[in-house]
Amino acid sequence: MNFREWDRRRVAGAIFGVWILSGVFLVSTDQQAVVTRFGKVVEPRVMPGIHLSLPWPLDQVRRLKVQQTQRLVVGGEVADGALGRTQPVLSQFLTGDQNILHIRTVVQYSVAVPADYLFQTEDVARVTGAVVESELARRIAASSVDAVLTTEKIAIQDAVRGAAQKVLNDYRSGVLIASVNIESAAPPPEAADAFRDVASARADLARIVSEAQGYENDVIPKARGEAQQMLEAASGYKQKKINEALGDAARFNQVAAEYARASDVNGRRLYAETMEQVLPKIRKLIVDNNGNLDLTIIRKGEPAK
Amino acid sequence: MDFDNYRKHYRTAAGAALAILLWMSFFTVRETEFVLVTQFGRPVYTVNEAGLSMKWFFQSTNYFDRRLRIYNPRPSEFLTRDKKNLVIESYVAWKIQDPKRFIETVGDPVAAEMRLHDIVWSGLSAALGTHDLDSIISTTLESVKAKEMLDHLTSRSEQAALEQYGIQVLDVRIKRINLPEQNKQSVYARMRAERERIARQYRAEGEEQALRIRADADRQKEEILSVAYKEAETVKGEGDAESTRTYSNAYSRNPRFYKLMRTLEAYKKILDDKTTAILSSDSELLKILMRGENAQ
Repeated sequence: MNFREWDRRRVAGAIFGVWILSGVFLVSTDQQAVVTRFGKVVEPRVMPGIHLSLPWPLDQVRRLKVQQTQRLVVGGEVADGALGRTQPVLSQFLTGDQNILHIRTVVQYSVAVPADYLFQTEDVARVTGAVVESELARRIAASSVDAVLTTEKIAIQDAVRGAAQKVLNDYRSGVLIASVNIESAAPPPEAADAFRDVASARADLARIVSEAQGYENDVIPKARGEAQQMLEAASGYKQKKINEALGDAARFNQVAAEYARASDVNGRRLYAETMEQVLPKIRKLIVDNNGNLDLTIIRKGEPAK
Repeated sequence: MDFDNYRKHYRTAAGAALAILLWMSFFTVRETEFVLVTQFGRPVYTVNEAGLSMKWFFQSTNYFDRRLRIYNPRPSEFLTRDKKNLVIESYVAWKIQDPKRFIETVGDPVAAEMRLHDIVWSGLSAALGTHDLDSIISTTLESVKAKEMLDHLTSRSEQAALEQYGIQVLDVRIKRINLPEQNKQSVYARMRAERERIARQYRAEGEEQALRIRADADRQKEEILSVAYKEAETVKGEGDAESTRTYSNAYSRNPRFYKLMRTLEAYKKILDDKTTAILSSDSELLKILMRGENAQ
């Protein structure tokens, strides 16, 4: 009887011990936990490690994978004509210059404040999606179609992320938006070829300009070469003239010096030499100074013999 | 013996009844909830604070979700002040603020959303009716007044919803702006026309730039060549001048000899085989031929 009494106590004690120990809980490295007591948050953010709480049903531990990012698509699929599975309205956004664009955006978010994340909103994904979508629509409604398609895509993403985060903070959603990424932004299929033509026109522009630059790169160096050639030729001509003049002058001076020494004789000699060279080629008529000349002996066009 | 047994059971029963009453006197409130305590169907008080709470055992508890909810009304077509049609998709962020009022007037979230739909629809319709299209969508952020418009709408809706239904409207926002289906074809046509214009402009600008580059290249070429011509002629002139100076220096020292030389040189060139010379026998050259050595 005594033994049974003792045994019962021991069993009760063991059960009580186990119950108390069930309050020990583990939070792994990628998690954070929230502890509630009778539904009220007592530990809003329990970091990884081993912890003690009051046992069930007094305390309740809810763990959250705070590192893990959730993925959300805003805007529908971009129209896929081949499959015919399109919901074009879902992805249509209106730009500031009243163009329709098909936009698909991927939002990645994670837990910033675990207690808020768990208890403040009915559906975190729905809230996040709605907020990002409204900010995206607002930004796109304030941008031109070219800005969305090209230059301002990054700026729009950043602006949407910042603004959406602010709104989500106002809602106390406990959500941290990691990224808002415009995955695709495309014109509607009804106008897609016209948009492609703009792209090819832009390529044409670049091609035409680069051809012209090619012409420029061809013409100018050639002209420079030609100019250099002219300068070299001129410089050569100058030297030639100077040197020739010097040569001629030197020769003349020497001859002149000799001539001066006996100008009469030399003058006659030079005259005679020249006549020797000249007269053989020409037709000659020798007339007496006193007689009259009969010019009929000169026949027109008759060559000299 | 029987009586003793009854007494024993009576005590147990009393204990059990007490435990049940105690159990009925406590209730927990979670963070996500409001609890409205009612007494025979009449609301008595609201518990806002999460945790363990007490009530009389004869009172009952009604739980209300206090979390923020998102309500998406169906997209509807609105008319702006300048008579343009827009299809607006909005969302309303709301939560129950006053459970007592809420249960008296609305009852459940689905009914609440119907009420919200009416408030927001009429609010949006009125707000858009006082704005032009280009203050809703525009290429400059500054001229877009949609946010101000919605903030105004939010505060008005908030007031109405709170007073009437015990609902707090945190936000009314436009999720999507679109055009009615029947307008889209003309929008696509306009988009195409606009793109064609831009494409033409690009090509024309390409031609323009190309022509400018080519003309500039030609001009540079002419400039380079003419400058080179100028310099070349200057250099040649220097050569000519220098040589002339050299000649004149040399010749002016012996003008007589130069005259003789030059004249003789000129004879060699002037007199060719087509020339007929009529030589007088008195001439210098023939004097000796005719009259002998003493003729002079």
